Amino acid sequence: MPGPAELQLNRDGNLRHLLTTEGLSRELITSLLDTADGFLSTQGQPVKKVPLLRGKTVVNLFFENSTRTRTTFDIAAHRLSADVVTLDIRTSSASKGETLFDTLKNLEAMQADLFVVRHSAGGAPFFIADRVTPQIAVVNAGDGTHAHPTQALLDLMTIRQYKGDPNNLSVAIIGDLRHSRVARSLIHGLRAMQCPDIRAIAPGTLLPSDLSALGVKTFHRIEEGLAGVDVIVLLRLQKERMSAGLLPSEREFFQLYGMTEDRLRLAKDDAIVMHPGPINRGVEIANEVADGPQAVILNQVTNGIAVRMAVMAMTISTQQADALCRS
Amino acid sequence: MSLVIQDIQIHSPGSSLHGKTAVGIESGQFVDPAQLTNPQVRDGHGWTLLPGLIDLRVNLREPGLEHKGTIASETCAALAGGVTTVVATPNTDPVIDTPADVRLVLERAQRADTCRVLPTGLITQGGQGQLLAEMMRLMDAGTVALSQGDAPFASTAIALNALKYAASLEIPLILDPTLADLRGGCAHAGQVATGLGLSTNSPLAETLAVRLYLELVEATGCQVHFSRLTTARAVQFLSNAKSRGLPVSCDVSLAHLLFDESALADLNPHFHLTRPLRTRQDCEALRQGIIDGVIDAIVSDHAPHEPGAKLAPFPETEPGMSLVECTLSALYALDREGLPFAHSLRAMTTSPAHILGLDWLGQIELGYTADCVLVDPHGQRRFDHAHWLSEGENSPFFGTTGLGRIHGIWVDGNDRTDRVSNGIRDDLQ
Repeated sequence: MPGPAELQLNRDGNLRHLLTTEGLSRELITSLLDTADGFLSTQGQPVKKVPLLRGKTVVNLFFENSTRTRTTFDIAAHRLSADVVTLDIRTSSASKGETLFDTLKNLEAMQADLFVVRHSAGGAPFFIADRVTPQIAVVNAGDGTHAHPTQALLDLMTIRQYKGDPNNLSVAIIGDLRHSRVARSLIHGLRAMQCPDIRAIAPGTLLPSDLSALGVKTFHRIEEGLAGVDVIVLLRLQKERMSAGLLPSEREFFQLYGMTEDRLRLAKDDAIVMHPGPINRGVEIANEVADGPQAVILNQVTNGIAVRMAVMAMTISTQQADALCRS
Repeated sequence: MSLVIQDIQIHSPGSSLHGKTAVGIESGQFVDPAQLTNPQVRDGHGWTLLPGLIDLRVNLREPGLEHKGTIASETCAALAGGVTTVVATPNTDPVIDTPADVRLVLERAQRADTCRVLPTGLITQGGQGQLLAEMMRLMDAGTVALSQGDAPFASTAIALNALKYAASLEIPLILDPTLADLRGGCAHAGQVATGLGLSTNSPLAETLAVRLYLELVEATGCQVHFSRLTTARAVQFLSNAKSRGLPVSCDVSLAHLLFDESALADLNPHFHLTRPLRTRQDCEALRQGIIDGVIDAIVSDHAPHEPGAKLAPFPETEPGMSLVECTLSALYALDREGLPFAHSLRAMTTSPAHILGLDWLGQIELGYTADCVLVDPHGQRRFDHAHWLSEGENSPFFGTTGLGRIHGIWVDGNDRTDRVSNGIRDDLQ
């Protein structure tokens, strides 16, 4: 049985779904980012739409709430001229007891071309991709604590924009890596891009086991971990972590791991600060850093639209080429 | 009626009949074939006669979970796996915590008339881990031991009381070493789960529970069988406890001998288990535990499910594998991977018989109960829909072939081959 990493590629190694950054090659990621760069240049134009996906139907399946990711997928699909349908499944069929499998079969019957899936269970987009009819592409918009590949790609795009090729950079990821699909996907992506120095900075309660097996060095003291890094990625701290007894308080987290101007000075002078958003000021990041010149958080959002356009265009074009071969 | 099975190789280490080429069966017992007059004769074609296997952990699903399996269907599956005695878990719906529940299981088993079914009951009411069930009345109704099913005790206080009470009445307990507040998670807290972001179960959930329960055994003298060890450290702790003379025994599930955490890489829901698959090192230590005799028994931990239970993203599927009908083939497969058949056979015959205090089971020996399996160890066996007997097709073996073709199976001296003829019929091309 193929896993998510194998299922997302067709026989020629082209991307037919995007389920995880695990197993993607440097070449494939580079070509995605190049395409995204191309779309980015169209985004400054007065007319932002390109006709690539005219006549195609993109269905956003959000089994878990999300505002930003859903909005950026929406905008990305619209800018590619696709028809977009957004289904908030939480309030519809799932709450009536329909299984994911039956929901899927129903939506499939509606002749969509691409499903954008967000789900609280890790592996849900894989489950869907494994069972949909072959002409439908599936893009993972975040599943449980498994993966958030478009976020990782937009992070890589931002890193490339500001710092160049990750293959000679030091990247530090700070915060709740244990529960973060963003961190997991970024780590797999950075590894694919041959990033030589990936660091995780967090207390033991927020680190998953055996992170070293993924080629990540772990630090419990932020001062040690930040020394000389080019890129700082902050992760959002969920309030549930305190009630689960993993952390004493947001205040203590900020004191130990919050990104302040003083700490930022430990990194390279031209280091950039990234955050997948939404940010908690005074928890992961101090105001001065969030609003300072080294923060590229809003550029990440803009890049997110271009990356999602690239992913949709690429997966649908692979599906079309495969369909031609089949016929 | 008496029977002689001849032209066979009897494989029952430790028995006076080991290596012999014929055996007699009369009144449900193995006898010397020479003393039988006019017996029926069964030609064994040079195949091997094994003692019937004893499986200490099988979920028969009845009562209440008949959509997953029934006593009739799952005991047939057991026979097709070479298993002639199953110990049934109490986590049905309703659970087995009253004498009436025990009688119901025994009656259904009698009606099914397949393999020997030995029920277990729950130590605590409803399996909630809070209040003691009527332990002695359950034993009087026919349970062979009491357990907590998949659920842990709610507190150390109730665990201590359960062991004290059981010790005073000489009731054997089967315990899953897991702590209430560390249970849960669908994968071992290791590199595979970290890569996939699966919710995790720490090995400490097991190792801490083993140490805690060993202290309680030491304090109370209760006879405890630890079920489904998954970690190398737990094997070490059990080894130490045994050398100190504590009245403990333990088992490991077939899945934990066959697979490790790497099996989860493809998010195949068959590998979602109640006790997660752990590291390669753990798997090796469990195999070595069988060879050294530290681990007494192997269980199938058979857990059949309806298709819908596994038709969901990995973390949302129900845990468990339908494995009992692959038992004998799995032992042959393990033999090829370095766990010698002689050791795994012991762990499914004489050792579990001894743990249950049923010393008339588990060997092909004069005067023992005539449970045996006639098998061609080199014959191929097909595990597909047409040959599958369990209601649950949730097995990594489903759709494959395995070694060990069964040609005959006897329980209490009665020929039960016809019960499994669909499963073992020969239509391999």
